[in-house]
Amino acid sequence: MQRSRIIRNVFLIALIVAALGISYNVTGVDFPRLFRDLPKGGPILREFLSPDVFTREMETRTIEIDFPIPCGSAPAESEVPASGPRLVPSVNCADERQKFTLEGFDLEPNSEVIIRWNLPDDRTMTAIRTQTDANGYFTSEVEARPIAATKDGKPSQLEVDTNTPVGGMKPSQALKDVVDAMFVTIFMALLSTTIATFVAAPLSFFAASNITRKGVAGTTIYYVFRSFFNLMRSYDPLLMASVFGFWLSFGAFPGFLALTVVTIASLGKLFSEAIEGIDSGPIEALQATGSNQLQTVVYGVVPQIVPDFISFIIYHWDINVRISTIIGFVGGGGIGFYLSEQINGFHYDRAGTAIWAIVIVVWAMDFLSAEVRKRLT
Amino acid sequence: MSSLFHSTLIPCPSPNWREVGVRAEWRTIMLRIQNVTKTYPNGTQALKNVSFDVKDGEFLVVIGLSGSGKSTLLRCINRLIDPTEGKIFWDNTDITIASPAELRNIRRKIGMVFQQFNLVKRSSVMTNVLSGRLGYVNPWLSLVGIWPEEEKKKALQSLERVGIADKAYNRADALSGGQQQRVGIARALMQDPKLILADEPVASLDPVLSHSILQYLEQLNKEGITVICSLHFLDLVHRYATRVVALKDGVKVFEGSAQEIDRAKFKEIYGEEAQEVRAASL
Amino acid sequence: MEQSTVTNSRLGLSGLLSAVIPGLGQFVRGQRYRGVAILLGFLVMLATVVWYKNPLWYASPIAIWLWNVWDAASARQRSILLPVLFGLLAAYSIGWRVVGIDFSKADMNRARMIVRPMLRPDFIQERRERNTMWVPVQVPCAPEPPKAVREDGGKKATAIPDCGPVGETIIVSVSGMWPNTETNVVWQNPIGNSMMLGEGETSMLVLTTDENGSLTTAIRVPTTALVAAPDPTLPQLHRVYFDQYRPIGGYELSFIGNEVLKGALATVAMALIATVLAVLFAIPISFLAAHNLMSGNPVTYAIYVVVRTLLNILRSIESVIIAIVFVVIVGLGEFAGALALAVHSIAALAKLYSEVIEGIDPGPIEAIRSTGANWVQTVRYAVIPQIIPPFTAFTLYRWDINVRSATIIGFVGGGGIGFLIIELTRVNNMRGLSSVFIAIALVVVTLDYLSAKLRERLV
Repeated sequence: MQRSRIIRNVFLIALIVAALGISYNVTGVDFPRLFRDLPKGGPILREFLSPDVFTREMETRTIEIDFPIPCGSAPAESEVPASGPRLVPSVNCADERQKFTLEGFDLEPNSEVIIRWNLPDDRTMTAIRTQTDANGYFTSEVEARPIAATKDGKPSQLEVDTNTPVGGMKPSQALKDVVDAMFVTIFMALLSTTIATFVAAPLSFFAASNITRKGVAGTTIYYVFRSFFNLMRSYDPLLMASVFGFWLSFGAFPGFLALTVVTIASLGKLFSEAIEGIDSGPIEALQATGSNQLQTVVYGVVPQIVPDFISFIIYHWDINVRISTIIGFVGGGGIGFYLSEQINGFHYDRAGTAIWAIVIVVWAMDFLSAEVRKRLT
Repeated sequence: MSSLFHSTLIPCPSPNWREVGVRAEWRTIMLRIQNVTKTYPNGTQALKNVSFDVKDGEFLVVIGLSGSGKSTLLRCINRLIDPTEGKIFWDNTDITIASPAELRNIRRKIGMVFQQFNLVKRSSVMTNVLSGRLGYVNPWLSLVGIWPEEEKKKALQSLERVGIADKAYNRADALSGGQQQRVGIARALMQDPKLILADEPVASLDPVLSHSILQYLEQLNKEGITVICSLHFLDLVHRYATRVVALKDGVKVFEGSAQEIDRAKFKEIYGEEAQEVRAASL
Repeated sequence: MEQSTVTNSRLGLSGLLSAVIPGLGQFVRGQRYRGVAILLGFLVMLATVVWYKNPLWYASPIAIWLWNVWDAASARQRSILLPVLFGLLAAYSIGWRVVGIDFSKADMNRARMIVRPMLRPDFIQERRERNTMWVPVQVPCAPEPPKAVREDGGKKATAIPDCGPVGETIIVSVSGMWPNTETNVVWQNPIGNSMMLGEGETSMLVLTTDENGSLTTAIRVPTTALVAAPDPTLPQLHRVYFDQYRPIGGYELSFIGNEVLKGALATVAMALIATVLAVLFAIPISFLAAHNLMSGNPVTYAIYVVVRTLLNILRSIESVIIAIVFVVIVGLGEFAGALALAVHSIAALAKLYSEVIEGIDPGPIEAIRSTGANWVQTVRYAVIPQIIPPFTAFTLYRWDINVRSATIIGFVGGGGIGFLIIELTRVNNMRGLSSVFIAIALVVVTLDYLSAKLRERLV
């Protein structure tokens, strides 16, 4: 007896160790890399932490100079003006990959500086962002990139924008877009939760063994609904959304539908368990008074399950708000769609706005639903 | 305690049959149980060929060990459980073959009181009491929770009779066990029953409360409602029963008055190892 | 009850107050919760309607405001049902529009096109045997092209002429193949890319061999034969393949099936690693987030507040979003996904664990201490037995959730089966997608069942 237990435990531990070992390999765990490359996450996190919420009206001034690459491929800027806003490169032409210093004098003070290449084919390429000091001076190292080489005798231009804030703060476009997307997200959660409730509440009776599991037909119905709920519940709503996206093209609608389907299954299961947990005594008592089936359900079953149902619905509303924040990653609309768009475009500051909005909304909903549930019980 | 209901009780329409003794033979038989057998799907035989009659105005107590078939017997009477064989006659109709509609009509004349009270705990006391009237009122209105004024008045009267009218709008689970059982009796009263089935009505209560609950049943019995009650404690049986039916392993082993249960009979019903316990000395 | 004591003038006053600020009248009357709820509800409704600037929807906040004044000015509490109904009505009409619910988009024909292939999941295939033969053809012609004849194990293939430019008609024949068997005739360029030779070069040329195992057909050198060639004028040897297949009984995993299995394994492994990592970090953190342990002095309380806030923030961000950061740090793959799941799980588990710690029954601690046990013994015999079962139950529950989340973390590059899903959806491979769905259902339902059984035994 004791011996067999020891053997069983040793076997179990060996099994767990093996599972961990395999998982470790399959996952490709590489902590050295994590620690070595952790700084790579820094810039993103920094941008996340400084979300794009307010902007100020900006005034932009631009100066440009011709800059031939390589030297002699085109005439260089002849002379640098001695005063006024001006750009002074350390060399007036450069070979490919050569590095040189670019200085700016008497520009707008305390302004954002964007140094760009204006390529010969009229495309532009942003090189460096920096800042002017209180005297309107900046200095920066620039590399003569091969792509900026002179083409057909036409040299690239070095162009410098200075953005000076004027006027007061106002909500940025990103903030407006985020609020807009957040409304979609919240409505998606609201609609999917309520509609799923209306569908799941009647269906859950079919999956409750104490109500349905009588006779062959009843048992069949019971198992059909049970398995349907269990199957659908096993899919993440994002997975569903990717299939619904195929069907209904992209947007918030397929996301909403996917969320609704999964919620129906999940609520259906929870509801049916609540129904299975009811006390059969009151039902017996009502039958004994001569009430009919419907009356028995309304007076004996419903009062017993309604508080549980409401608590489950609020719980799910909470979950659905969370999920609808990410369902847009598969084209499902809402804040997730906005977030994935900004991340794909490397606008991490706007992504930061979205993430903070998510944190605030999810936290607020969490708090609200906890309060409501506390009051219910 | 009895002063409590003097003001509210209606004068007894029929005399207590214990006082009239022999005349009991002339009373009408309201319920006849004929060779009732119940076999559960798992093969357990809960009742074996049980027969007896119940006369109008009796306080019939069914005794026996746990699992002897008392609950099954009571539930066969209002067909919460369908007997496998045998017949049960109620006012010359056979309950066992009644259609669903007939059955509902029969059930609303038979009140039932349960060991676990069987109240809907999250509903108000009032709703629980009113639900005793479901067999009478308009089914559709009852579904949306609309009750005629006179029914509400009747419910309050029923609660007054069991002494807890002030709790009418409390939630049922806010009440103590004894109070909940009184709600259970009030619910049965709403049915204007001719017969009350009480399935171990005091088994979940303190001995002291047992007497108060049984006194309510006794009072109702004196007002002319027949009572069939299953009980555990023999001293309670002696105190309240006008007649006793004893079951052992689903077989009727005794039928007669409580006084006839002597030591030998007791051992026969409850087994050799049994010792008589008194519920309380009130 | 108390309503009878409220005089008319006081009712008027509270009505007036509620007219100025919704809920104020109720608040002053002592119904604080009701007042705050009304104000919040009104503000949320107003903000929503103002944001969308639809004049019709203004009816809802106005209705709520009117009801609020009426409620404040009535002796009896009015039913909250009415304003809730207004609110829901407005929320539905706005939400319906904003979410873009449009059931006319639900095209049943399109659904059939998606569902029908899904009924035949691409997971296993019949085991088949291949019989193949090829003949070289030079494109374009050199002055002396090599003979386009090849013999191999009793099979012989020829092409006439031996060479030709793009679009040239060539008669190819083969003998010694399996008789009366469907044969695919395929062009292959020198770097191994296959081209179809059927109608318009978009379908497979399929012919059947005669009873002797021979076939002859005319083909055209495909227009795309030289697309990949570095110098189209340089003569190179291409091949014409004759491929036959026949079942040899039994089944084997298809290519997609193999990928699905690998993905499922990676998903489960990722969830396991994430859960283990999360537990290791969450246990110490949970002690810092337990109110009863940390509220003793201001320093520990400050730590408690900071830890709680951080946990709450992290918990609000889904692991898919966290994965984006880790993909940048450690690159695409399962490791990034596992780390993201772990971070989210740490936040979730630490909160649950700390609630367990907060709920410890002091009775046993007192009892053990009264026996003369020291601190370690007390922890061992009074604290640990109380927290181990709920900790384990929460961990198993989290592992369940992690498996489910791991299926989708690949959507942002976090590895696992989600990666495969993205690839399959990109090429519209519904049969493959279907086998993914089956695999996920099997894995999730099985693990769900197992962990439910384990939890049952623990509690």
